[in-house]
Amino acid sequence: MGDARRDKTGLLQGTLDLLVLRTLATGPRHGLGIARRIEEITRGTFAVTPGSLFPALRRLEDDGFVRGEWGESETRRRARYYELTKAGRRQLEAEKKLWQRVAVAVARVLESA
Amino acid sequence: MARLDRIRSALRHLRRGREADRELDAELQAYVELRADENVAAGASPEEARRRALAEMGGLEPVKEAVREARAGGWLADLGRDVARAGRSLRRTPGLLAVVVLTLGLGVGANTAIFGAASATLLEPLPYAAPDRLFFVWSDLEQAGYIRGPLSGPELGDFRDESTTVSDFASTWTTTGQLTGDGDPEQIKLGLVTANFFATLGVAPLLGRDFGPEDEGSEAAVMILGWPLWQRRFGGDPGVVGRTVRTDRGSAVVVGVMPQGFVPLFARDANIPADLQAWMPFDDKLRALPRGLYFLRTIARARPGVGHDAVRHDIEAISRRVVARHTEYAGSGRRFYAVPLQDDVTREVRPALVALSAGAVLLLLVAAVNVANVLLAQALGRRKETAVRVSLGASRRHLLRECLAQGLLLAGLGAAAGIATGAVGIEALVALRPAGLVRLDAVRLDIPVLAFALAVSLAAGLLASLAPLREILRADLRALLAMGGRGASHLGGRTRAALVVAQVGLGVVLLVGAGLLARTFVNAAEVRPGYRPESVLTFRLSLPRVRYASAATVTAFARDLERRLAALPGVEAVGAVSHVPLDGLPNWSTPYVYEAIAGEPRGSHEADARAVSPGYLSAVGAEIVEGRGFFESDDEHSRPVVVVDERLASKAWPGRSAVGQSLNVEFMKDGDFVPTAATVVGVVRHLRHRSLTEEVREQVYVPYRQSIRDPMAYVVRSRADPAALAAAVRAEVAALDNALPVYDVRPLEEYLSAALDPRRFVMLLGAVFAAVALLVAGIGTYGVVACSVTQREHEFGVRRALGARTRDVLGLVFREGLALAAAGLAVGLVGAAVTAPALRGLLFGVAAADPLTYGAVAAAEIVAALVACWLPARRAAKREPLDALRVV
Repeated sequence: MGDARRDKTGLLQGTLDLLVLRTLATGPRHGLGIARRIEEITRGTFAVTPGSLFPALRRLEDDGFVRGEWGESETRRRARYYELTKAGRRQLEAEKKLWQRVAVAVARVLESA
Repeated sequence: MARLDRIRSALRHLRRGREADRELDAELQAYVELRADENVAAGASPEEARRRALAEMGGLEPVKEAVREARAGGWLADLGRDVARAGRSLRRTPGLLAVVVLTLGLGVGANTAIFGAASATLLEPLPYAAPDRLFFVWSDLEQAGYIRGPLSGPELGDFRDESTTVSDFASTWTTTGQLTGDGDPEQIKLGLVTANFFATLGVAPLLGRDFGPEDEGSEAAVMILGWPLWQRRFGGDPGVVGRTVRTDRGSAVVVGVMPQGFVPLFARDANIPADLQAWMPFDDKLRALPRGLYFLRTIARARPGVGHDAVRHDIEAISRRVVARHTEYAGSGRRFYAVPLQDDVTREVRPALVALSAGAVLLLLVAAVNVANVLLAQALGRRKETAVRVSLGASRRHLLRECLAQGLLLAGLGAAAGIATGAVGIEALVALRPAGLVRLDAVRLDIPVLAFALAVSLAAGLLASLAPLREILRADLRALLAMGGRGASHLGGRTRAALVVAQVGLGVVLLVGAGLLARTFVNAAEVRPGYRPESVLTFRLSLPRVRYASAATVTAFARDLERRLAALPGVEAVGAVSHVPLDGLPNWSTPYVYEAIAGEPRGSHEADARAVSPGYLSAVGAEIVEGRGFFESDDEHSRPVVVVDERLASKAWPGRSAVGQSLNVEFMKDGDFVPTAATVVGVVRHLRHRSLTEEVREQVYVPYRQSIRDPMAYVVRSRADPAALAAAVRAEVAALDNALPVYDVRPLEEYLSAALDPRRFVMLLGAVFAAVALLVAGIGTYGVVACSVTQREHEFGVRRALGARTRDVLGLVFREGLALAAAGLAVGLVGAAVTAPALRGLLFGVAAADPLTYGAVAAAEIVAALVACWLPARRAAKREPLDALRVV
């Protein structure tokens, strides 16, 4: 499994997972909702396609970080809603810290170069 | 923790793979609808909204694929899909599928059948209680000509008294008896046993009781019936227990019936036939018999918890004490030893089965290499496709998985074909079974055999499917395109050539082995046995003692019958003998003493003994080299005479005439063995009546009338087909005594043929393996040459255009094929030279390094290669120069 670190969005895999977790921190959402929310907060920098979103969701679900349940959308459609689990919350905190450390470090490298 | 979760979820997915798929479908459907709603909200028509939503995603399938790849355990589900895909792709190439299934099927089938046979005969424990505690006790009488001899009564007594490791010693001896009374009289093979024989084996009678100590050496005769005799003669009547049956030895009370399937299983040279029909206890007090009367086939049951070595050492220690204690053994080199019964029983068949197993493994290797070769060719053919797929993003892992899937599929198909072939093979093995391989009847396609077939197929299929792996992993579109789609084949071509060389080499090893076995068979079949078995009919009689009590009545009957038979039309000679050659009945032997060894203890020299009527030697076709045979006048009133074989004559009187010399041997007088000084009246060429391929030991012939002993067999030499005489013979016997059963009426040649059965069996199997290997290797050679011709069509066209003649093109193709064959032949001949000596124990009259066999194999291999090249060569030669150029 060593090679597929970078997926089709051009995001690092871990990054998309982090974004998904962060998005769900404010409440349950369905797949399209998650994609839209990420576009919103990143102001369109990341367009999350289903081809990367659903694998990420399944991975997170398999790892026990999110839990999926069928529900009804605002437009009265059946949709699968995802919410963070306790483990997911802990994971989000851990990844946030890691990301901040990495971001600071990268920024320093870029500035000093 | 996370890993545990992943494993758990992997298992969950495996279990609920299909459910998860459905759920994903629903979710993606929902996604598309939500997205379409957005589009509608933005003003699109519902149809357009949906279409755009789907288009954005690029279709549902790629998303599903991506999800599956992301999931733990998904790869196994994918493997299933790949297997299905491989199945579809194989179905599109039926030729390849056929070759693969056929070769794997043959290879796996041969192994399945042989493994079944080997496990049923060698590995399966004997059907006795705690069989690992059973031993056979042999007496080494090497000086007297045999190292696996029986024991005498007093010797059995010594072991019973002195052993600390063995709880029971039991003995048996085989004779023939006659059942008279209710129904037709019939001859049966009767086992005489010590009372504890069945208890020592740990087998209880089905009905009635076992023999008890009071039954042995007693006047009141009792009998236990074998299941088949009970069914046949007594209709399976449970009331038979307690009934009195009449035999030629007097009447006996049936006390028990052995269970169905009880078969005495012993080494062939123990002379305990598997088809014994009834048992009676010894009526002698065994301890009171002479110490030099060896006839007891003896088994021992070790006490629980005693190791094999302890038993062996115990027996050897007793052996030394007993031999030292009795003067009879002085200077005889006598020794007793114990062999675990399982080893003893399988001793004779083991070398053949081991050789056949090795042959089957070689065949499987040839088959696997062939499959590898075919798959490699397929991979080479698909190289472009693979390269395109790699450049379009197919991962190496994915390609590897496909490879694995194909291997699994082939393994499955191979297993199915192999099990089917194996089932047929097992039937054939049982049908061809030589008499000595009794336990082969028990071969079944049971769980271990099926598991073996599956494991073998899996190994072969996976190994073979790994062959094209290198080709697949190095698939590189740019390099391929740069070479114009041609050049890269040389690498794969070289691998394929190496595979063919390996295949031919393995096949050659098999061919050499089969060739040596075939020569062995021919040599054994052409042995001059010392008699002429053609046109001789044999049958047996046994005169009931009740009616033929005196020597005079027996003698008169024999004389009358001989006269009547000799008078039949077409009959040339008639004789009576105690044993028909190669009938496998317990051998008779006698100690012998001549002047030069008069000082040595009795029993230190033993010869096979046969009692014969005056007509026997000429009827069987024995060759008298000196002196005469027996005359009518050599009867109970004249001086004792003997005829000896050349071996004995040259041993006893080297450089001198044996005729007129005195030889002391045992004569049977009124039921007792009496050492008698007899005059040698003739010398015959050795008669191979115990083994076709060995001169077992010296032989002594005594006149029937001077040494009367049951039973009697007759040999009738005729000018016509001996089988046609059967009815006339029965009529003549009935005319003398219509209550006498006549049995085993069969041509002498049948006994010889049966004696050749084990060798025929091994030879046939070896030949089948070798033929299949030759065929498969031929197909392999054909495949490589044909493929190379296809690839070189362009080259051939150019050559033709530049003036090469048909002959030149043919030469090019044949040269390639022959080079492969020659390389394979070289490898194979070296391999055969190294491995063939392992067959030595199975060979007769042929050296393991027999140049004729090796030469014939080389010739066969070259012919096979020429045949394999023929079609591709013709295709190459037929190409018109321009055709070939146009193909490009």
